[in-house]
Amino acid sequence: MIHPVDILLTLVLLSVLFAFASSRLPVLIRILAFQGVVVSIVPFFLGHDMATGSIVFTLATLTIRGIIIPWSIYSMIKKMGIKREMETVVGYNVSVFVSLLLIVAAPMLSHKFNLTFFSGSTLITPTAITLVVAGMFLLMARRNAIAMVLGYIMMENGIYLVGTSFSARTQHIVEFGILLDVLAGVMIMAIMLQSMSHKYDNLDTALLRELKE
Amino acid sequence: MVEVIFLVPFITGLAAFFLPGIAGRVVLGLTGAVHLLMSILLWVNRPDAFFPEFFAVTPEGLLSLIVISLLFFLISIYVTEYLREADIRSENIFIGSILLFLSTMTMVTLSDHIMVMWIAIEATTLASAPLIYTHRTAKALEATWKYVLICSVGIAMALLGSILLTLAMDAGNVNVPVSFSALTGVAKQLDPTWLKAGFVFILVGYGTKMGLAPMHTWLPDAHSEAPSPASALLSGVLLNCAYLGIFKTNKIMFAAGLGDFSGMILMVFGLMSIIAAATFILKQTEYKRMLAYSSIENMGIIAFGTGIGGIGAYGAILCLLHHSLIKSSLFLTSGNILFGFKSRFIGQTGNLVKLMPKTFVAFFAGFAGISGFPPFGIFIGELLIIVGAFRSGHYTMAAIFILSLCFIFAGFANHVMKISFGKAPSDTRIAITEKPCLVWPQYALLLTSLVLCFWMPDTLYQTIIDAVAAIGGGF
Repeated sequence: MIHPVDILLTLVLLSVLFAFASSRLPVLIRILAFQGVVVSIVPFFLGHDMATGSIVFTLATLTIRGIIIPWSIYSMIKKMGIKREMETVVGYNVSVFVSLLLIVAAPMLSHKFNLTFFSGSTLITPTAITLVVAGMFLLMARRNAIAMVLGYIMMENGIYLVGTSFSARTQHIVEFGILLDVLAGVMIMAIMLQSMSHKYDNLDTALLRELKE
Repeated sequence: MVEVIFLVPFITGLAAFFLPGIAGRVVLGLTGAVHLLMSILLWVNRPDAFFPEFFAVTPEGLLSLIVISLLFFLISIYVTEYLREADIRSENIFIGSILLFLSTMTMVTLSDHIMVMWIAIEATTLASAPLIYTHRTAKALEATWKYVLICSVGIAMALLGSILLTLAMDAGNVNVPVSFSALTGVAKQLDPTWLKAGFVFILVGYGTKMGLAPMHTWLPDAHSEAPSPASALLSGVLLNCAYLGIFKTNKIMFAAGLGDFSGMILMVFGLMSIIAAATFILKQTEYKRMLAYSSIENMGIIAFGTGIGGIGAYGAILCLLHHSLIKSSLFLTSGNILFGFKSRFIGQTGNLVKLMPKTFVAFFAGFAGISGFPPFGIFIGELLIIVGAFRSGHYTMAAIFILSLCFIFAGFANHVMKISFGKAPSDTRIAITEKPCLVWPQYALLLTSLVLCFWMPDTLYQTIIDAVAAIGGGF
């Protein structure tokens, strides 16, 4: 039987394909918002007992990962008026091919791990691996600074997904601390991006080549 | 009781963002003094934490904490004079961030919960980012960007590693709190495969922050672009905090009987860092970058010594303490040189011995200490590590280790001789007078290091022994 959460996770896997094919930042941000929403609501489906605390925490994650982070980056690029395509290191066609390989390889890899902790769902581990690796790929394959931040967020989403089994073990205050750190990190990156666009009028990280060795 | 020690700088740090210049400096000095006092009390009394599931006083944490406190106190004295000379636009942001930075680093030394440790280490990145961007130049922007991005991504790997450790608990059917001390106690029952995977990710993650090659690329940029007191803190204590995360995970590995596995990886990363430093230090043209590469070297030495274990682990902790004291003094001194010559380039400095005699004393003594001249502690530490390497039969690695140290010494000495005794450019005019506050903190740091070589208090010796005993170190 197909676990309901697997349907959502299939969509997340597909969204990685879109993310790699897209040359426009707003599309990438929307994809990330979608991924943020899905990974935050996964605990609802996993049959851990949901106490009030867990529900509040899940909603907080949803707000931060699904709404605040994407929205703040979106409003920033709107303010800066960036419309041009992203500068790349690896082209879009190759990127799509890589993401296809990744989506095939991740389930094979996770099959080996034999993780039985995720009650019923077969796709959590593959999706988590895909998101982490895809995030790293975006970090390396795009020269645009915003795309790099988005890659970092994608990676964080993947790690959060691995952590869903862990979340049953710990106090929410700790998880909340992690969430706040991620949020503050993204905010600081956003501030850096703004200073960068003031200084260079462009967010191509190839311009950041003054410091070497 | 324990938690107060990081809450105080946190609160004063937040307050400092809203205080005008002079008041901010007073708060900075006072917080430094209070923090040092509290650390000493903590060392003597070793109380329990309010939240024992999150925080605990451990020997290795105490060692780092006392170094942080002492360094911060002396650096805060230096900063009061530094801010008068330097052209820093938003002083309140600088002081506020440096206090928050102190608070987060203190939290690292006291955290026992694996995730709280992660939160604290990531928070150090966030609190120190504004410090690196203080000068608001294009280069500072680039350095900060690299720092935040590379360290955040690296530390995200450590988060993954920490989660894998909890998977090791699930797989081994272990039900204890997710804290380093509890896991060390039940290490044998953890699933070894997941434990190994977790260790590797944590090593890569915190190793990025510690400056181990090949993840070190942010370090020279950040250390050279930050204002000198901030560089001193980054190099002197931030790197130790990241090391603490690795050290504690290594404790679990050792208790689980996987010490050989983790030791080998630590040695390889350590050697790579030393080799990377040896390659790049030779052709440096800026003195602060040269010091940064020396930090990478020392972190490599420490990781290498920790990996060897036994007598080498004791040597590694000695190197850790002395590196903090000496390197922070060198970075403060580099701030004076920058004030004097108005240039970061080695080629535009020279004749320090005549032009800035007091700074020269601190600079040259620091150089002697950091490159391992006999009476200083780094010499003893490196010697113990080499002996340990030979004892455990790692002859090739020991040979590479010694050879790289020679290279680094040669490169370092060459640059230092040029700065100290070389010909200064003819139009050099020293822009500052060497006020006591700008040289005495360095003297105090170097003196502490020197005294510790000849006379180590019993309580300090015992604490080091306790710390390294958990990873199979000691005589």
